[in-house]
Amino acid sequence: MKHPWLNRLLSVHGLLFLFFVYAPIIIVVVYSFNSHPVNMMVWKDFTFDWYLSIFGQPTELNEQTLYVESTDQLLAAVKNSLLVAGTTTTFSTLVGTAMALAVYRYYFRLKPFYQGLLFMPMVMPDIVLGIALLVFFVNFSIKLGLMSIIIGHCTFLISYVFIVVSARLAGMDNTLEEASADLGAGPWITFKRVTLPLILPGVVGGALLAFIISMDDLVITYFIAGVDSTTLPVFIYGMLRRGVKPEINAIATLMLVFSFLIASLGLYFRKRS
Amino acid sequence: MTQAAESIVEVKEAVKRFPAPEGGVVTALDSISLKVQQGQFVTLLGPSGCGKTTLLRTISGFEDLDSGAVLIGGESVLGVPPYRRPVNTVFQNYALFPHLSVSGNVVYGLEVAGIKKTERDHRLKEALERVGLSGFERRKPAQLSGGQQQRVALARAIINQPKLLLLDEPLSALDRNLRQSMQLELKSLQHDLGICFLFVTHDQEEALTMSDQVVVLNQGRIEQIGPPDLLYHKPATRFVAEFIGDSAIFSGRIQNTEASPVLVTEDGLGIPVGRGPKPGDHATLIIRPENLSLAPPNPDDSVSILDAVLEQSVFRGATHQYVCVLPNGTSISATPTGADDEAFSRVSPGDSVQLAFRRNIPHLIIESQ
Repeated sequence: MKHPWLNRLLSVHGLLFLFFVYAPIIIVVVYSFNSHPVNMMVWKDFTFDWYLSIFGQPTELNEQTLYVESTDQLLAAVKNSLLVAGTTTTFSTLVGTAMALAVYRYYFRLKPFYQGLLFMPMVMPDIVLGIALLVFFVNFSIKLGLMSIIIGHCTFLISYVFIVVSARLAGMDNTLEEASADLGAGPWITFKRVTLPLILPGVVGGALLAFIISMDDLVITYFIAGVDSTTLPVFIYGMLRRGVKPEINAIATLMLVFSFLIASLGLYFRKRS
Repeated sequence: MTQAAESIVEVKEAVKRFPAPEGGVVTALDSISLKVQQGQFVTLLGPSGCGKTTLLRTISGFEDLDSGAVLIGGESVLGVPPYRRPVNTVFQNYALFPHLSVSGNVVYGLEVAGIKKTERDHRLKEALERVGLSGFERRKPAQLSGGQQQRVALARAIINQPKLLLLDEPLSALDRNLRQSMQLELKSLQHDLGICFLFVTHDQEEALTMSDQVVVLNQGRIEQIGPPDLLYHKPATRFVAEFIGDSAIFSGRIQNTEASPVLVTEDGLGIPVGRGPKPGDHATLIIRPENLSLAPPNPDDSVSILDAVLEQSVFRGATHQYVCVLPNGTSISATPTGADDEAFSRVSPGDSVQLAFRRNIPHLIIESQ
């Protein structure tokens, strides 16, 4: 390069960008260990007490401040979230993969239109989807609860899986399936031994993406959750409305670690293929 | 008839049409009939789009016919899916399974067929030895060169002991030297195995080198079937003559008498030809470069003379190629050998020459009245 200062400027730009993205997250993590009981932005001492407190363990802070009203409620929300995310991921992975295979393999009338329809839920505003689902459930007298959340999540997560698996299929050599048939393997054996192993990184990636989005979704879930079917994001949002409490930092940090683990799992699978 | 019993594949009046991308219909196979005998190396030769790959795919089962029939081992395979046909294919891009090792790829067919492991291992060893890939069992396809991948694809197909091996332009991705050595290897492999190879190519040199029989296809029709030397020396149509080997081709009408016919081209060039055609016939004369030499001092009736001007001589290793121009502007090449080559080499570019060919050698295709 002719201008070394231009290079340096570029580095500074890059660092600024990373700072912009990660600084708030780092602050949340750091202050989740802050022992200041009232103002969480004033550093006092290092402590694990917020973590202990969200799991209902007795701590020194507990005596001064009782922020998490009910550990039971929090754990129930976590359980609901895992149940919803687990069911939704399983269902949307199966359906999304099957649809990707069908669209990849067959030609039919209005195929581009159909592909467009499958793409739509990804770009549709969450709030529109939330309202639409709420109106639908109420009109058809479907009880709002875990089931309605699961159905609601599936409507758009199928699209995510479909797109991730389709991308993987597009890179697959379609003569491989012919080669398998030529060597005497019927359609099921060909799927099991050739197609599935080759698209597995896409299927796993799509499933992990669906899981994280389902775990994380607030807007749509907020509309269609019933009274006793609060998920973790809805619960945290509820906590926030009653004032920002230091436990939130600890919960956020734990969710961050959880998401990070899932993303690492995805990368591991991609590397291995 | 015994011949029918020996034929391993028979195609009867096969017709296949595809919708063309720009609308309308492309006829890929236009009433093709073909018999392939046991133990032969048969090549389907033709330019791209002539239907040769479509024909192969109707035999392997990946395309259905619009009408007609395909018989394998005397039985119709109409509606039989590819995985129940006793044929195996070597694909153009090899289509090796990227997630399986070399041995995983090669034994795939045996595993699917439920062959016991001890026999699988035995046949794997044998197949890899045959293609010269022993010791590569654990490699993944991505860790092999193009030539090695080619051998894996070959081993994966022949390990199943098919009645017929289909090869879809398998050598087109290899470089020239490797392609030539693979041609000879394929030929001897076919000889050793004794199974029938049906080989698709657009490369006439490949077809002539390897085949017992060559089927020349053009626009969904068979132009000629025959052994390579027949196609070369006695092409049935102008297309075959143009497609196989170098040649000078003259089309015109036969004039003069039946005893000494002369082919007169549209631009007025008269070439005396051997006996056979009647005056008024449309005929095409094919002269191969090796049939041409300088005219002897006192030519008799057995040779025809063409007046020409030597344009340039090109060194070709064993011989020279002499590029000459006829009075009508057509360029014609001669590759004489021995003393004829020596005589020709004394001519300088720009000099007039008299080219001679023996009337009974060049091939004359008489088309119609």
